[in-house]
Amino acid sequence: MQISVMPKTNLTMSTRTNYSIQQTPHFQILSDNQKERIYNGMLRTLQYTGANVHHEGARELFKKAGCKVDGIKVFFPSEVITNALATVPPVTEVFPWNGDESKKITIEKDRSYFGPGPTPPNFIDPDTLERRPYIRKDASTVARVCDALPNMGYVQSLGSISDVSNGLADVYEFADMVRNTTTPIMSWSFTRNGCRDIHRMAIAMAGGEEEFRHRPNYIFYGEPISPLVSDFHAIDKCMYCAENRIPQVYSPCAIGGGTVPATHAGQLVVALSESMVGVIASQLISPGTSVIIGGVQSILDMRNSIYSYGAPELSLLSAAHTEVVHYCGLPMYSQSGCTDTKKMDIQSAMEAALSINAAMMSGANFVHDNGYTESGMTGDIFQAVMADELIGMARIIEAGIEVNEETLAVDVIKNVGSGGHYLYEDHTMKWFRKHWQPTLMDRNSYESWQEKGQKTMKDRIIEKTRNLIDNYEGPNNEVPENADQEIEKILQEAEVRIKNDPES
Amino acid sequence: MNIDFERISELITKGQIEQLQEQTNQAIETGTEPAILLNKGLLPGMDKVGQLWRNGDMFMPEVLRSAKAMSKAMDILRPHLSKDDMGSAGKMVLGTVAGDLHDIGKDLAGMMFEGAGYEVLNIGIDQPNEAFVNAAIEHKPDVLGMSALLTTTMPRMGEVINSLKESGIRDEMAVIIGGAPVTKEFADEIGADLYAPNAGSAVELTKQYFAQNNS
Repeated sequence: MQISVMPKTNLTMSTRTNYSIQQTPHFQILSDNQKERIYNGMLRTLQYTGANVHHEGARELFKKAGCKVDGIKVFFPSEVITNALATVPPVTEVFPWNGDESKKITIEKDRSYFGPGPTPPNFIDPDTLERRPYIRKDASTVARVCDALPNMGYVQSLGSISDVSNGLADVYEFADMVRNTTTPIMSWSFTRNGCRDIHRMAIAMAGGEEEFRHRPNYIFYGEPISPLVSDFHAIDKCMYCAENRIPQVYSPCAIGGGTVPATHAGQLVVALSESMVGVIASQLISPGTSVIIGGVQSILDMRNSIYSYGAPELSLLSAAHTEVVHYCGLPMYSQSGCTDTKKMDIQSAMEAALSINAAMMSGANFVHDNGYTESGMTGDIFQAVMADELIGMARIIEAGIEVNEETLAVDVIKNVGSGGHYLYEDHTMKWFRKHWQPTLMDRNSYESWQEKGQKTMKDRIIEKTRNLIDNYEGPNNEVPENADQEIEKILQEAEVRIKNDPES
Repeated sequence: MNIDFERISELITKGQIEQLQEQTNQAIETGTEPAILLNKGLLPGMDKVGQLWRNGDMFMPEVLRSAKAMSKAMDILRPHLSKDDMGSAGKMVLGTVAGDLHDIGKDLAGMMFEGAGYEVLNIGIDQPNEAFVNAAIEHKPDVLGMSALLTTTMPRMGEVINSLKESGIRDEMAVIIGGAPVTKEFADEIGADLYAPNAGSAVELTKQYFAQNNS
C-alpha cells in the first residue's frame, strides 16, 4: 500500500504562522457598561428633554419619522435614533481632486486623519509673528503648507477671512484652498447658499456631478449650538449635504460647566445628543450618506472664563467621546494640537504634544484644531507645522510592534552572537529605515548644533514654515482651466447674491 | 434691632440667596436705612467678591451665585432706594442680535451686571434691531449691551446704533458690545462706547467709563 506523505514545513508545525493579528494599540477610558450608560443617557435626553430645531422643514421631517414635536422642540423616540444609526455607512471614501491615491481618505474604523481647524477670527502673521485678523491670502497659505505636510490628512483653513464681502468668507476660502491643495478639504459655510456655492466648486474640480457622487472630494463641517439647539442654518446645511451626498461632520462645541454639565459623563451625554439630531436628519433624508460626529469637548476655565483648548480634560473627554461615538458605530471628529497660549512657546508645545498623543491613542478618525492657539481665537500655521512633527511621532507609537519570525530575528541574533554589532547585517539594512526620522527635533551633537547656528526649536519651526510658504508651489498649476474659470464665475455670482441679499 | 452688616456681606460672598433675601427683608422691616444696607452690607460683599475673583480665590460659578444673591437682594431694596442711592448702577438692556442664537456670553455678562447692582432687562437671543430700540425707548437704560457670535450677524450691532441715533436717544446710554469675533476696532468702527473681551471685564470697563464721563 502506498501512502502519500506531505512534506513537513514550518507551516504545518504550528498554527502560529498561519495568521497574524491586526492590532492597533489604543487605550481605553470607558468600560462597555459605561459606554452603554452614556449611550442610554443620550437616548433618555433626546426622548424626554428633546432638542430645539429652528427649522420647520426639519421638524416636519422628524415628525413624519415618528418624533413628537412641540413648538420648536423635538422629542426623539429611541427607535428613530437606532434606525438612523443603522443606515450610517461603515465606510466612505473621499478622493483628492487630482486622483492622487496617496491622499485618499477612507472614513472607517481604525483609520485616523489629522488636520487644522476652522474659523478663528485671528491669524499669526507668517512674517511678523504678530496676531492680526485672518485675511484672504492666509487660506491659500494654509492650504499649500498643509499640502506639503505629510501628517496632515485633511485640511481646514485655520481662520475666517475678514477682507472679503461680509458673508462670503466661506466661499472665498474654499475657492482659494481647493486650488492650492489636493489634500481633501473640510469646508464650512454660513448658509445653504454658501454650501451650494462650495459644492458647485467641488463639482467643477471633480469634473461633474456624477463624478462627484462617485468620488466625493471634500467633507463639510457643520455645528449645532450647545446645549441642544440646532439653529436654522446648521440643520439646513446638514440637510443640503445629505441631499447631495456630501460627507459631513455635525458636531457641537460643548463647554463643560458652561453649556453642558461639569461632570464628564454628563457632558458626553449632551454632546452626543446634540450631534445625533444631525445624524437623524441626514439619514432620514438620504439613508447611507456619510456623517461624522464628535466636536470640541473641553471645559470652561472658571477662573478666566475661557473655553480651554489646552486642558488635559480636552484629551480625556475627546478620548472617551471617541469610544462612545464608536460604540454608536459612527466615525469620530476629535481634536488635538491646540493650545491656550498666545505665542509659540513651551506651553504651546506641551499642550499639543499631550493632546496629539492622546488623540492618536484614542483611535479617533478625524482630529482637528492642530494649529489653534489662544483658546481657539487665533490660527497659527507655525503651530500646525510643529503639530505635524508630533503627529508623526505619535503615529510611530500607534503603529505598535510587529511580532513575527522575521522581526523576532532570533536567527540574526544567533549570527551576531554575544558581543559584536548589527550594523553590517542585511536584516538591519532592511529594517532600520522604519525608524522615525525627525524634521524639527534636534539630535545633533553639541558641536554640530553649534556649527549649524545653535538653532532652537522655535527657530527651526519658523525656518521650515517659511521655507514651505516661499518655495512649495502646491498643485495650483494643475487646476484644470475650465474648473478655474467655473470657480471664478461662482465667486462673481456669490458677490451678486450677497449684494442683493446680505443675509443670503 | 442691630443689623449685622458683616453677616450680610458674607451671605453675598457665599452666595446664600435665600438667607440673604430673608436678612434683607428683615432689615427693611426693622427700619434700616436702605442706602446704609446697600453701602455697608451688599456692596462691600460684592467688592470682596471682586477681590477674591481677581486673586483667583473665587471661580466663575461662585461669582455668578454671589451676583445672583446681590441681584435678588437688590430686587427687594430697589423700590426703597432713590436714584442718588444707586450711584452709577442703573438699568441695562441686553440681548443677542438678529440671526444669532448664542446666549451664554450675553447671559454671563448680564449676571455680572446684576451683581454690580444693575437692573438688567435681558431681551434674549435673535432679537431684531427694532426690539433693541423699542426696549431702549421704553426702559431708558443707562447701558445697552449687544452680543454676536457670528461674523455675519455682527453688522446688526452697527445698525442698532444707527437706529438709536435716528430715534434721537443714542446719547442717553452707553452702548457696550461683545462676542467672540467682536474686537475693539469693530466697536470703534460702528460707534459703540465700549467693547468687553469677556463677561468678567464688562462691568469693570463700564464702571471706568462712567467714572471718566461723569467727572
